[in-house]
Amino acid sequence: MQQFLNDELVDAVVIGTGAGGAPLLSRLAKAGLKVVALEAGAHWDAAKDFATDEVSQQKLFWTDERLSAGRDPLAFGNNNSGIGVGGSTLHYTAYTPRPQPDDFKIFDEFGVGVNWPIDYRDIEYYFDELEQFLGISGPANYPWGGPRRSSYPMPPLPLNGPAQLMKRGCDSLGIKTSPAANAALSGPYYQEGIGWRAACTNRGFCQAGCTTGAKASMDVTYIPFAIKYGAEIRAESFVTHFDRNKDGLISSVVYIDAGLEKRQKCRYVFLCAGAIETPRLLLYNGLANSSGEVGKNFMSHTGLQLWGQFDDDIRPYKGIPGALISEDMHRPKSADFAGGYLLQSIGVMPVTYASQLARGRGLWGEKLLQCMRGYNHTAGINILGECLPYANNYLELSQEKDGRGLPKPLIHFSMQENEKRLTAHGKKNMQEIWRSAGGRDIWTFNRTAHIIGTCRMGTDPDKAVVNREGQCFDIPNLYIADNSIFPSSLSVNPALTIMALSLYIADNFLLNKK
Amino acid sequence: MINMRNDFYPEGTVRALLNTGLITPATHDVLTGRLANQEVLTPIFFSKENFVTLTTVCKRLIPQLSAGRQVDLPGIMDRQLASGTGNGWRYASMPADGQAMLKGLYGIDETATIMFGKAYRFLDSELQDEVLHAIQSGVVLGVTWQSLPARLFFEELLAILAELYYSHPLAKEEIGEVSMADAKGWSKIGLNELEDHEPRSIKT
Repeated sequence: MQQFLNDELVDAVVIGTGAGGAPLLSRLAKAGLKVVALEAGAHWDAAKDFATDEVSQQKLFWTDERLSAGRDPLAFGNNNSGIGVGGSTLHYTAYTPRPQPDDFKIFDEFGVGVNWPIDYRDIEYYFDELEQFLGISGPANYPWGGPRRSSYPMPPLPLNGPAQLMKRGCDSLGIKTSPAANAALSGPYYQEGIGWRAACTNRGFCQAGCTTGAKASMDVTYIPFAIKYGAEIRAESFVTHFDRNKDGLISSVVYIDAGLEKRQKCRYVFLCAGAIETPRLLLYNGLANSSGEVGKNFMSHTGLQLWGQFDDDIRPYKGIPGALISEDMHRPKSADFAGGYLLQSIGVMPVTYASQLARGRGLWGEKLLQCMRGYNHTAGINILGECLPYANNYLELSQEKDGRGLPKPLIHFSMQENEKRLTAHGKKNMQEIWRSAGGRDIWTFNRTAHIIGTCRMGTDPDKAVVNREGQCFDIPNLYIADNSIFPSSLSVNPALTIMALSLYIADNFLLNKK
Repeated sequence: MINMRNDFYPEGTVRALLNTGLITPATHDVLTGRLANQEVLTPIFFSKENFVTLTTVCKRLIPQLSAGRQVDLPGIMDRQLASGTGNGWRYASMPADGQAMLKGLYGIDETATIMFGKAYRFLDSELQDEVLHAIQSGVVLGVTWQSLPARLFFEELLAILAELYYSHPLAKEEIGEVSMADAKGWSKIGLNELEDHEPRSIKT
């Protein structure tokens, strides 16, 4: 791997190596720029370091403490925040549906939320590219979202028990389903710059890290690609602040490496630390916030899960967890809310399920043990739906300091009327599907998924943190490329869109720089 | 609950798989380490008093039937809290994790004394459960709960114990779960399709 000196003026420092940082890093490296990525966590060797064990794999989660407030306080850690080279893609389920064109214009359609300053067509090219590059498995003809220029390069992954049950239930109710798009390989796949990646072996432990390299996490795709083209990755390097020159531009990035403070000189900075760490870093440094929008409009997808037991033997630890999808509820006719949601079949790992029974259902004693003895016969479905931005859902710095001496983030989150109505609609549908499929002892776990917003992208410097190309209005050599710049949540899982934005921001940057 | 299945699985299934090549070396190390854990007799994080209360509470929340082979939940929890590793978040209305546990365990004894005139460990199991139900409901007597949300404390404690228990090979045997035996992957993944090494439930 290429190595740069701290005193060497590199073209760009990229902070974070997840879905936001890694694609962009590889793009800049391929263009011949000198680039250094700073990653707070370790660079794992998955085959050797990862166990099929939920507790020991907590090392993939961001565990610096966050404080959760509001009526629906968010569970962080395993639910939504990763650490290590690859970021949260180390523990994402690889579920990679595209957003639909109308997702980007939610205000135009419903008069609530905000439109994106870019639209689907601006980044459509990147969805095509990503699906090919990552080797995404999916159906030849995806039934929703309009015609596409390319098909998924790999056939869909096989349906596991929960997916077969969802299909059974949906078929009987006339709800259309399809094998889902998943960034895990249904067969061996070759990529220039990376080499061969092996097919998925149907370990259902995607959320605890993939041991085979079949899942397209960044550590096995864009990161090796970036290294091949001359990028340097510095793991276990935690960014704390920035030096600025007399014009207010960032001149170096300051970080802690094994207890020592270091500064990397650079021309540009790409901040890709996710929708909590990105605004936290800006807030405690008092940066890029003339709009007052840093930390505002925090969103988390509505993600109600519904579980049931079946006579069928399921073993929900096998197969890609989200094998089946329906987007029939993307804009349901009977809706009394703005936006919509997708439906997804879900397998579940045992400790995760036990934890949900404890937190969501409050089961203990013999009832908990009996319910867990039915784990092998348990399957779920969930919604993944729109969450609108609100003034009273936001991140601020708390008075408490963490182990690094930095202020802990305090996140306020409450579902509002729209989220409640959408969730109720989804719950009713899922109950019908699970009853039709033969489910019993059905219960729901109300949760939200993903961290979104806090550094909104927009056209007005008074109302947004970055422009439509990811560049900070206040500091022209600082860019943000992660889920924090989403102006609205979109009604799909965010990973693919984060990567598309990352490539879009990189290409525009390179174009403007010429 | 009436609708809930009531399966049982044979003992020994996970331990029998440990050295078969169906478990990767990394996974093997984690599981054998957990099986080899020695029971904690002297707590580091908790006081002796707290620890006795915790041990008694654990028996009600996660009753373990076979006395000889119990998962040492209070001991594991003591060592975990002593190490100071957190899970990445907490409710803003709760004190820091360790403080919440110390305070909450004190609160359990306080409530037991108010409700039934004795410390928790001296109560019959039925009365012990009444104390726990009161705390879980959040409608509960005791000064402790004025500064510690009872419902959230209970949720935290229960979730921690459930996660610790079901990560242990013995608990996995109890529920017939062999997710760890994936070194060769899974080919039979559809409904009612089982690999030879996946345990079958015992009909009762």
